[in-house]
Amino acid sequence: MASVTYDRASRIYPGSEKPAVDALDLQIADGEFLVLVGPSGCGKSTSLRMLAGLEDIDRGAIRIGDRDVTHLKSKDRDIAMVFQSYALYPHMTVGDNMGFALKIAGVSKDEITKRVAGAAKILDLEPFLDRKPKALSGGQRQRVAMGRAIVRSPQVFLMDEPLSNLDAKLRVQTRTQIAALQRRLATTTVYVTHDQVEAMTMGDRVAVLRAGILEQCDTPLRLYQEPANVFVAGFIGSPGMNIADFRLEDGQAVLGRARLPLTTAALTALSKENADHVVVGFRPESLDLVTEQVAGAFPVDVGVVEELGSDAFLHGSLPELRQDAGPLGETIVARVDPARPPAKGERVYLRIQQGKEHLFSPSTGLRLPT
Amino acid sequence: MSTTLEAGRGRGQQPPTPPPPPSPPAGGALRRSADWARRAPLLPALVFTIIVTQLPFVVTLIVSFMDWNAYYPDERGFAGLRNYASVLTDVNMRRAILVTVVLTAVVVLVSLLLGMGIALLLDRKFRGRGVVRTMMITPFLIVPVAAALLWKHALFNPEYGLLNGMLTTVWRLFGSDSPPQPDWITAAPLVSVEVALIWQWTPFMMLILLAGLQSRPLDVIEAAHIDGATNWQIFRYMTFPHLRRYLELGGLLGSIYIVQNFDAVFTITSGGLGTANLPYVIYQTFYQAHDYGRASAAGVVVVIGTIAIATFALRTVSTLFQEENAR
Repeated sequence: MASVTYDRASRIYPGSEKPAVDALDLQIADGEFLVLVGPSGCGKSTSLRMLAGLEDIDRGAIRIGDRDVTHLKSKDRDIAMVFQSYALYPHMTVGDNMGFALKIAGVSKDEITKRVAGAAKILDLEPFLDRKPKALSGGQRQRVAMGRAIVRSPQVFLMDEPLSNLDAKLRVQTRTQIAALQRRLATTTVYVTHDQVEAMTMGDRVAVLRAGILEQCDTPLRLYQEPANVFVAGFIGSPGMNIADFRLEDGQAVLGRARLPLTTAALTALSKENADHVVVGFRPESLDLVTEQVAGAFPVDVGVVEELGSDAFLHGSLPELRQDAGPLGETIVARVDPARPPAKGERVYLRIQQGKEHLFSPSTGLRLPT
Repeated sequence: MSTTLEAGRGRGQQPPTPPPPPSPPAGGALRRSADWARRAPLLPALVFTIIVTQLPFVVTLIVSFMDWNAYYPDERGFAGLRNYASVLTDVNMRRAILVTVVLTAVVVLVSLLLGMGIALLLDRKFRGRGVVRTMMITPFLIVPVAAALLWKHALFNPEYGLLNGMLTTVWRLFGSDSPPQPDWITAAPLVSVEVALIWQWTPFMMLILLAGLQSRPLDVIEAAHIDGATNWQIFRYMTFPHLRRYLELGGLLGSIYIVQNFDAVFTITSGGLGTANLPYVIYQTFYQAHDYGRASAAGVVVVIGTIAIATFALRTVSTLFQEENAR
């Protein structure tokens, strides 16, 4: 068991000026489950591969515990990795796949058999130990890949989108199993995913990356409730946060008929920047369906209503704002009562719940106090 | 999709009750004629292929059971297995069979080994890799007779060959005026033939194995690195098993071609000094002794031998690897 430290670690691919991972600073505590999340091409997989020793570290350092592993080969780092494709050894049986690392390390045959049997029991793989990977289903292969990692009891588990090849139902099931397994083994784990639901449900902490830069690293709840900037606000949450440019008028943020009173703290911060507008974010569940007369209510034309049973999401457009709605575009998403969803094409009135808005600086995109 | 499968299976279990799946009665004849409209244009090619490849073999098979010597035209007739008996008991023939086996085995194994080495080197990235790869392939592109002549005259010749020329140069460097000037082909006739053939067949093996190396899944190699394997262990446990199919293929194709080799033996030694292999002996029997019956019988033996080698090689290699994996 060990902690992992990225110390301003950078990776610049040959032939490219821009770093794929730019001065990543990250401390992962012993036994922690950290999720790296971000859109494709954000450098999350590269960060993981740097820790695995599959990518060079061009600047900075990576430490596992107190060991500087920056220039160590993969085999000397005492890590285990689960690949997106599982990367099982195709000509070996499940048992041999799981025992390969131990065999290489010179562990005795009895010990290998014992440890493989132990891991197989945890993962329900006992009936399949003599099969070749190609005779297994996707979910079973995924478990073999997990088994290959846990048999070694390494200092760190690395997982590179291990669930992305499973079907939706199995993915949800396996998600909880992996999280439970990690709690039980208490092995430091770095987990890469592009799926923010996975990130939110599995991680002790979640690190959001964009274009090689760490945007925010915090607990899932804090990421959701206090996103550090516009990007994190838009990325975390499903459906995503509504984000729009509001004009500043008499201490209020105004967009069409929508009006938001701002706090003194927010106004002070904005006046420091000489801003005449502000970026406002509000989650779908922070909107109330109200009548036209309520103060701050704004009209929305209902486009589509997604009824999920437990929830219903209204996708609509703001009739007053055909052109300059900013990042919000023409659509707005609101969670409505699934028992009484509005009809398609209807005009409804929405209001942003007080205190539920997120304010961001129009120039830097950083969070402002509310 | 799955439901129809289920339904089909259910029907299979209780055959008597439901009617068989309806086949369109009128459509059958129509479809048959449509099928023929599609196949008919292929017929000339098929007939041609049969005439060119299958008929000669059938004729050879028939002739191999006949007494047929151009010098004794009156004695033509059915011979039974006499030709085969003489092929298998004749000292020269037996020796030729042995030479063929040795020649094939040595050439295939050595060129597989060399080909694998070169393929491993070419699998890395370096400047000018494309040029080097093309140059490595060229020996295989040369006409076999030309290649054999090249080795015989440009390299092995004791008077003006490159090998002895190099010996002279090296010896002169050290101030000696009497370098050894061996007559390579006389000193080691079979090895000379083998060297020329290995030179020509290594590129073929290299190409097949390089294709194998480049189809290795990268993530599996990475996983093995992370599992702690050294480069040698990765070769031993990942690359080599992966190359199994490619080694089989190279060995098989190489054996089939080299069992039939005639050019190198004919050009370099003319079958002398104990280098006559079966194809060469067949050539002699046919064109010099004009004993068509015996030549055909020997030809059939070569075909049977080729099939045997192919099957045997495939079996051994597969079992070898199965044991390897079981461990």
